[in-house]
Amino acid sequence: MDIPIILTGTLAGSALLLPALDIAIGTKTNRTFSAYFTSFVMAISLALVLLSATSVIPLSESAAPRLLQNDFMGLVFAIIVLSVSLMVSLSSIDYMRDEPNTSIYYSLLLFTSLGMILLSFAADLLMVFVAWELMGIPTFILVGYRKKDPNSNEAAVKFFLLGALSTGVLLYGISILFGLTGSTNLATVAAELSTLDASMMPMLAFGVILAIAGLGLKLSIVPFHMWIPDAYEGAPTTVSTLLSAGTKKAGFVAAIRILAVAFPLLKLDLTMALAVIALATMTLGNLAALTQKSMTRLLAYSSIAQAGYMMIGLAVLPSNLGLTGLLYHSFNHALMQGVAFLAAAMISSRFSKASLEPYEGLSRSMPLTSFSLTIALLGLAGMPPLSGFWSKFILFTAAVDGNLTWLAFAGLLNSALSLGYYGLIVKRMYVDEPSSTQKVHEPVGFALLLLAASMVVIITGIYPAPIYDLTQKAVLAFAP
Amino acid sequence: MVDYLISIIIFLPITAGLLTYPISKASKRGARLFALAVALIELCLGLYAYSDILSKGTGAQYNFVEGPVAWIPGFKGIDYYVGIDGLSGPLVLISALLTVLVIVSSKDLISKNQGAYYSLALLFEGFMMGAYTSLNMVLFYVFWDIVLLPMFFLIGIWGGPRRKYAAIKFLLFTFAAGVFILLAFISIYILVPGNTFNIPELVGKIPLTLQPLLALLFFIGFGIKLPAVPFHSWLPDAQVEAPAPISVLLAGLFKTGSYGFIRFSLVLLPNASAEFGWAYIAFGIVTMFYGAIVAMRQKDIKKMIALTSISHMGFVLVGAFSGTVAGISGAIFEMFTHAASIGVMFMLSGYLYELRGTNDIAVIKGLKFTSPRFATLLVLGSMAAMGIPLFSSFLAEYLVILGAIQANLIYAVIVIIPVIIVAYLLWMIRRTIMTQPESTAKHHDIGTIPTLALMIYFIPLIATLVVPWLLLGMTDPLAEALVKMLPAR
Repeated sequence: MDIPIILTGTLAGSALLLPALDIAIGTKTNRTFSAYFTSFVMAISLALVLLSATSVIPLSESAAPRLLQNDFMGLVFAIIVLSVSLMVSLSSIDYMRDEPNTSIYYSLLLFTSLGMILLSFAADLLMVFVAWELMGIPTFILVGYRKKDPNSNEAAVKFFLLGALSTGVLLYGISILFGLTGSTNLATVAAELSTLDASMMPMLAFGVILAIAGLGLKLSIVPFHMWIPDAYEGAPTTVSTLLSAGTKKAGFVAAIRILAVAFPLLKLDLTMALAVIALATMTLGNLAALTQKSMTRLLAYSSIAQAGYMMIGLAVLPSNLGLTGLLYHSFNHALMQGVAFLAAAMISSRFSKASLEPYEGLSRSMPLTSFSLTIALLGLAGMPPLSGFWSKFILFTAAVDGNLTWLAFAGLLNSALSLGYYGLIVKRMYVDEPSSTQKVHEPVGFALLLLAASMVVIITGIYPAPIYDLTQKAVLAFAP
Repeated sequence: MVDYLISIIIFLPITAGLLTYPISKASKRGARLFALAVALIELCLGLYAYSDILSKGTGAQYNFVEGPVAWIPGFKGIDYYVGIDGLSGPLVLISALLTVLVIVSSKDLISKNQGAYYSLALLFEGFMMGAYTSLNMVLFYVFWDIVLLPMFFLIGIWGGPRRKYAAIKFLLFTFAAGVFILLAFISIYILVPGNTFNIPELVGKIPLTLQPLLALLFFIGFGIKLPAVPFHSWLPDAQVEAPAPISVLLAGLFKTGSYGFIRFSLVLLPNASAEFGWAYIAFGIVTMFYGAIVAMRQKDIKKMIALTSISHMGFVLVGAFSGTVAGISGAIFEMFTHAASIGVMFMLSGYLYELRGTNDIAVIKGLKFTSPRFATLLVLGSMAAMGIPLFSSFLAEYLVILGAIQANLIYAVIVIIPVIIVAYLLWMIRRTIMTQPESTAKHHDIGTIPTLALMIYFIPLIATLVVPWLLLGMTDPLAEALVKMLPAR
């Protein structure tokens, strides 16, 4: 089945139709119509992708093979971004209940998902660029969705300015690659580059670095990370979830596809540069997270640190093992970060404060949420046998295999460091006594969603083979 | 069933632990009895495995082996692979025994949130069994890390006044230890030809050039867990703040440090172990002296026991790296007797707190008059901790000292350690037992069931002194095999 084209139709159609549908039937009957509609569309899309990935529905050649490549790499990332989108839209039912214009919110959510899907399957640099914009522009609006909230406004402006800059940089990189090869199709670019004159090498390196720098904004790697904590804190937390767990992963697939083309040509220089970026990203993220007083900011820095681990996969790039680890960690991180952010969203909305205080003794008033959050945080720290352990393990193994033992060691030390703040949150929830006697109500639907996601973290941790096999299959089919 | 004996030993407590919490919602007593029944079954299984290996004399090889079954088929080398040998056999047996005793004694000492407590205790037991029996390094790592979680919650929720600090310190120290171990495992996987994590396949395969670096990584990782000075500071905090039954689990079951030194440093890196044996022994001696001397200055009984426990761990290190049959056997023997003798002392400190509301040596007076049963048990427990020939702790220390002297006469200096331990424990006994009680003190002693439960700790200690073969029959074949692997010096 031609997944990219079908998903484009489904998602774009429902995104365009949703506001009209909402006016026609939604508002009169039920305020949450858009939410359920969006979740339904996401669930259907996810089911389709899962069926293709498990080969129940055979894959077919894409109808536009020079633009979209219907391969397993795309499918893995489609699973990731659609799971995140589904989690976000389901949790928004409760979280965005009192906001105005929800049909627009969900429509933008669908557009963002569409952008991420196209980016996952893109086989052409221009497609990458268009999908990038399709993914980016709705998120600028979503971040500033609370237009009366100054924090949300500031976050949106900051995000927009940096986003515009990064788009420009990305486009510049693409134009250099086009200038060198005369094509924007990735396969043609790769073929042309292999016969490239040696004197053009610095130009190629410059173009690839510009493209990665442009993508780096969404990848949240150092030194392009400054906007992250502010944007995540100002945006509605469900949108932060989408940014951290969803669009970042879409950025990674674009980076993989671009780097894989040019990488064999400029291996040595880039390995070191990417390894240093990986080290800086994880260390800075973890150190900054240790001192945060607000849960959203803490998770924002943790998300930066996790991007550092994923960068290991890019740094060892010709290695299939590293790429498998990167895909695997993308999947795990999306799930765990999604649970953590959504749990934080619910807790901060129940207590009306974003500080760490409400977490004291939380296990008594919100047992399901605390449990899910604990699983997610320990998974992020890399505690075995949760799924986060395996993907980190594979990344570190790939680093040792790629003669970057120092990077593996740094990554391991960083894992221990990260337990410093993840563990403190767990300690607050289970060991500390509640500081206030405020009674809170745990919304059952929301809590069950988190519980279901954290169960996936546990089960895929105990039995990691299916996901590992899927990611490995994606990498082997893609192998540069 | 025998085919899956080890899997049952590992997963029975884990499954039961997950069930205990729901059962406690219906009946707290039911949950406790359920946990006790499971622990008893586990003890029978452990005894069966132990006696089978002992009677066949196959301590040198892996018994009841299951696997290797690929865990992640796409990733070569990560297997489910378990087995018991002369090193893990005694540890499995004593762990199963201590868990039964801990569950019995927890009735009097734990009142808060019992369902979760028994649930975590069983999970802890299951994970420990997994760590002791794993023959695959990744499987071992999974168990050795996951075991921190139940312990973190047990200390953090049921502990004493400084429990929050102690729990997080415990978690961070021991998780950090894993970092070094995991890096060593990954390096072995990548750099040793064959790409495997299975210990039996790696024996004798690790290149000489790689061994010193791996030995350093193992030393830091297992040294934190042991704990060896200077990585020891988490242990006194954790053991003092943990409730008494949990201190027993911590001292008795949580032996992954000493276990790791023998299973990984000694078995996988024989050349580095022979070359740098003196360094391990030096750290062991420092640890022994540090523990014993600092214990001497303690005013709190529980802290005194915790430091004695550190001192005993030094014996394990010295014995294991002496490179002699007596030393290695003695090290495993010491792990076994230490679990029982320090276990009973921690449990006694818990009952003492129940009786007197304090563990301060200066305040407690006249136990002889007010609590004769307790006083008797405390004297016996102290004798076990000192290594007096009524109990097999004597034999363990004797073997270690013998092995050390065979290796080098200088190491004879460790003979002083038991003397120091005897000195401060006698001082403690004189202050708390042999004095006149306060005039207001009433007769107040522990009940019959706790007394009987506490007596059980002494059974393995006496039995292995009277018939040392019960343990040495297990450890000697292993120790001989290990010594043969070590290069001649």
